[in-house]
Amino acid sequence: MSARRPATEDRIALLLAKHGAELVRHIRRIVRDDHVTEDLLQDTLLRTHGALGRLPPGSNVRAWLYRIATNAALNHVRSRARELAALRRYAREADGATSAAGRLTTDGDVHAALWARVATLPERQRVALTLRIADELDYARIARRMGGTEAAARANVHQATKRLKRELR
Amino acid sequence: MTTSSQRVRPNGGRAEDRAVERIVRRTFGTLTGRSGEPLLYAVMDDTPVGVLGLALGAAGLRRLTFVKDEDDFLARLLAELPDTPVLRSAKLDTVRRALDRYFAGRGFRFRTPVDLSEVTPFQQRVLHATAKVPAGKVSTYTAVATEAGRPHAARAAGNALHRNPVAIIVPCHRVLRGDGSLGGYGGGLKVKEWLLRLEGAIL
Repeated sequence: MSARRPATEDRIALLLAKHGAELVRHIRRIVRDDHVTEDLLQDTLLRTHGALGRLPPGSNVRAWLYRIATNAALNHVRSRARELAALRRYAREADGATSAAGRLTTDGDVHAALWARVATLPERQRVALTLRIADELDYARIARRMGGTEAAARANVHQATKRLKRELR
Repeated sequence: MTTSSQRVRPNGGRAEDRAVERIVRRTFGTLTGRSGEPLLYAVMDDTPVGVLGLALGAAGLRRLTFVKDEDDFLARLLAELPDTPVLRSAKLDTVRRALDRYFAGRGFRFRTPVDLSEVTPFQQRVLHATAKVPAGKVSTYTAVATEAGRPHAARAAGNALHRNPVAIIVPCHRVLRGDGSLGGYGGGLKVKEWLLRLEGAIL
């Protein structure tokens, strides 16, 4: 091959070709919206590409992509949940009626609220739990993707679940 | 040969596949300027003849190539097709299974349509002539050149076979020199010999 480094577009094209489809599935499960998924995918690729030069050689680029995508998706859900909570508060204060708030409490809101709590977990717990419940991966795969042992992956998911149960009580 | 580790997911299915492809395609357009028909690819890591790269377009299979690894194959695809979005896909599983059967000696015929539009008309005729040589038989560079309408163009026929985008499926390994020696092969002569032995053309 030529000594010329591949253009930025080619390096992004390579990431997109290899990991684009799986990242879209992952992000889409969390945010449940195609336009948002597209934006977050583009963000993830640009950020990862920007970081490629700083990654130590031999780094797991796929794990890196997943981490950035997961954080971006969870941040989105968290801010959306905050928006909905504000709306509900407003509805309660505005007419004091429970019905208005009731109308806002759809499945989507419950989903968003749960993910908003997930977003507050420590990073490794959050990623492990997301891979477990959104991507339905087994512990061996979670360990491979996050770069750690299977036991650590299991422990992270366990800690995350315990903490969510305590907070939701 | 292990097949793809894709699993059926509760919210998977065709609607999800279509949405995923659409989003990846649009992102290719936005970030890399690649806005053509997408090309789907897969890599077979541990075949008896090494690592194989496969690529499928709307009109049929466009690549079946001997490669070093996935990155090598992708870098080549992206360089050869500068306007084309490329994405990994499980849609090539059918071809992969046919190749698994082939390598196990359980089926030497492929139903996969191929797209040869990237080579010249003469080269296409040579490849079509080559596709008629059945497993277990061999032909010569002169014979396929004659069949393609240019009896004196054995060397050009050799070039056409060298440019064959879909090895094995268009069986360029079945074409030898007139004196019975192997000639050349993109995947290396050892592979050519192995394939001919698998098909029972040589002992």
